[in-house]
Amino acid sequence: MTSFLARRFSTAVLILLILSFVIFLLQSVSPGDPARAYVGANASPEMVAAERQRLGLNDPMLERFTRFIGGVFSGDLGRSLRTRQPVTADIATYLPATAELVVVAFLIALALAALYALSGALRWPGASVGRGVLLILATAPPFLLALVGIIVFFGQLGWLPARGVGDFQDPGPFGMQLVDTLLHGQADAFLDALKHLILPAVVLAIAPAVAIGRVFRSSLQGVLGVDYVRTARSKGLSETRVVMHHVVRNAIGPALSMAGLQLGFMFAGVVVVEQIFSWPGIGNYLAASIPVADFPAIAGVTLVLGAIYVLSNVVVDLLQAIADPRIAAE
Amino acid sequence: MSDRVPIRRGATWLVAACAATTLVLAGCSSGTPTGGGGGGGAAAPTDGTLTVGLLGDIGQPPDPDVYYANNGTAIMINAYEGLVQYANNTDTVKIAPRLAEKWEVNPTNDVYTFHLRKGVTFHDGTPFTSAAVDVAFKRRIAVKGGAAYMVEAVKSVTTPDDYTAVITLNKPNTAFLSYLASPFGPKMESPEGLKANAGSDDAQTYLSSHDLGTGPYQLTAAQTGVKYEMTQYDGYWGQKSPFKKIELPVYTDESALELAFDNGTVDTIVAALPSSSLDKYASKDGVANYFLPTLQGALVTVNSSHEFFKNADARVAFLKSIDQATLVNQVLGKRSEVATTMYAKGMIAGGADKQAISYDAGALKAYVAALPPNAPKTLVIGYANGNVNAQSMANLVVANLQTAGITASAQGYDTSTVFGWINDPPSGPDAFIDGNNGPDGGDPYMWGHVFWDASGGINYFGCQSTEVNDLLNQALGTGDTATYVKAGDLYGQTGCFLNLSYNKDWVVAQKWLTGVAESQNVGANELNFSLLGIGE
Repeated sequence: MTSFLARRFSTAVLILLILSFVIFLLQSVSPGDPARAYVGANASPEMVAAERQRLGLNDPMLERFTRFIGGVFSGDLGRSLRTRQPVTADIATYLPATAELVVVAFLIALALAALYALSGALRWPGASVGRGVLLILATAPPFLLALVGIIVFFGQLGWLPARGVGDFQDPGPFGMQLVDTLLHGQADAFLDALKHLILPAVVLAIAPAVAIGRVFRSSLQGVLGVDYVRTARSKGLSETRVVMHHVVRNAIGPALSMAGLQLGFMFAGVVVVEQIFSWPGIGNYLAASIPVADFPAIAGVTLVLGAIYVLSNVVVDLLQAIADPRIAAE
Repeated sequence: MSDRVPIRRGATWLVAACAATTLVLAGCSSGTPTGGGGGGGAAAPTDGTLTVGLLGDIGQPPDPDVYYANNGTAIMINAYEGLVQYANNTDTVKIAPRLAEKWEVNPTNDVYTFHLRKGVTFHDGTPFTSAAVDVAFKRRIAVKGGAAYMVEAVKSVTTPDDYTAVITLNKPNTAFLSYLASPFGPKMESPEGLKANAGSDDAQTYLSSHDLGTGPYQLTAAQTGVKYEMTQYDGYWGQKSPFKKIELPVYTDESALELAFDNGTVDTIVAALPSSSLDKYASKDGVANYFLPTLQGALVTVNSSHEFFKNADARVAFLKSIDQATLVNQVLGKRSEVATTMYAKGMIAGGADKQAISYDAGALKAYVAALPPNAPKTLVIGYANGNVNAQSMANLVVANLQTAGITASAQGYDTSTVFGWINDPPSGPDAFIDGNNGPDGGDPYMWGHVFWDASGGINYFGCQSTEVNDLLNQALGTGDTATYVKAGDLYGQTGCFLNLSYNKDWVVAQKWLTGVAESQNVGANELNFSLLGIGE
């Protein structure tokens, strides 16, 4: 198991290094000028040139890459050219909101996936209608789903807010409104935060829910036909007990693997959703940084998102290895 | 027979899904519309809060020495004040008092003496005196923001007494008052506050979420990309509005912003909606539309580094082929009028700076017809991503070029890319259409320098004339109008620039909001919230 972990983590580090290098490569061929982001749109070319020199943007790409990697290992991702704050500080500010959104969306995705799979595999009434609706929603691009959600639930029904987080002035400690409002005993603020969270979380959850659900359903169908399930039924166990104790537990492996992948995808896909809903997370931060070529911010967020994705895959590998020791032995 | 046995639950799939997603939880948890309800014609707020919707984040920290973009000037001009400002509620460029009650300029335009207002305090409670002027200027230089150029020529600031500041420049500069009146111009910041919160970055960290100004409102919350909040400053020296709090929520989508305005969540939107929404609000009950003068305009810039536009004849023929009236009427609508001058409207008295290029449908066709058969006839017309009006105009120009026998296409670019072209003009498109752009202030030098001088900042493709630059620099020292007019005439002959339209600030507001026109000036493009009120 130790060598398995070592292999996975060394691969993860290598992937992140390659990812960082690709970002630098892209910057070097990008026509955008990061120094412009620093001094503002109307600054003179002389001022922009002076800042470019001062920021080290004229240095060779390899030199800048080495400097960046050196900084990463000492916890320094540079300074945002747009906010003029350290990127690590910016990420520390925005990441909790993203984590809160993704975790809630992930829970929704798991619940919907379970319904998708169980309703289909066990032929619940109306299952095909529900699956059809989910499939249709999942085929829509997230921005379209978000806009439709805003028009219906904010514009027409007035049930949910269209943007932002709650009015709670979050004093911490986690920077997550749901958690912090509960910790501070603010029931109204909790409900307000929840209402702000629902639309973006559901939009973010739909596609992963279908992806996980389809894998889970297929796996369930396979397990429902095996001998030990027939044996369990013949012993007179209730169908609920058969499914929960013998079917689900044996069918959950592939779905778990897919869920881990989808969690990583959700962190990557959060950019669009956060932007549309003005959600104060790193996706929104990244979206604001890209048009002005705020390279330190783009590189920092990409690295963090990449690390989350890679880490979630390592965790999935680890869980699978625990469930099936043959994987670790390979 | 299948081995699977259906589990029959009481709950249907859809009910279970609702429970799982908790959608219904919120839907059923409140009987009150989140938006506040009301549609166009929503009632005036009773809690003293005015909500001003922003389309997109302000883009940079709300620090007056750093901020050099457009969306956040409302915060700048309401949290901070400069020595002077542009006069409100007029389409002429006129300098008006703000923290300076009066001023004198010496005959050689290099010594400016300001007599300051008494009884003004900063938001940290310390009194505003002449000592703050030098501190503000020096911080601006130290922070090195884009608008630091405005004080680079300051040789010294002397303070004969607490309420007199004498500013001496290195060389004559008749635009200096315009620098000070600009929304990007130097603002007065509490010297004590700057010292106390200096940190290691001249208080930049502190001013990214606080303010140290003297304005009618204090910045009390700054959540980048989400919302900004301002609270009325009790110790403000001037007029106060009934709005104790101003909320500036950030919307990233135009339709969401419109929905918020329609249901009364947002009270007013300033210069953020596309012209395509003009008709919708023109006839909407309970909504007031204001079209307020600015120094902004739609512009066409031609890339003289490209083969097709190497000679001035081609550039002039192209600009003549642009039907200004059609573009303005079909795309910009009531928020604009056809530009007839080289500078912004009202910069040159009497419109003496008349633009020589006028619409001639046949000019480009004739030029193309005379080209050799193998000459390049492909053009790309650029516009800034996200600027719907510029995109529409680019599409119309492209369609027109096709009729002239040119293979043309429209392409959007990020702003960082647009401003990178000056370093490599051939990498840009053949021409670029700005939907809305303008100078930092109302002095003609500020227009001519930024758009026509390659070192000005918004001359995207570096098309310039030494003679024009010399004339502009000469006029800067004297303020001579005839010299500015001559510079404009000469630059017009290059065929690199067309002033397409005079743009106005389109402010859409709930009808109960009063004082909108009175709170705006040509330089700010934003509202002074302290001058707004609630009507019947």
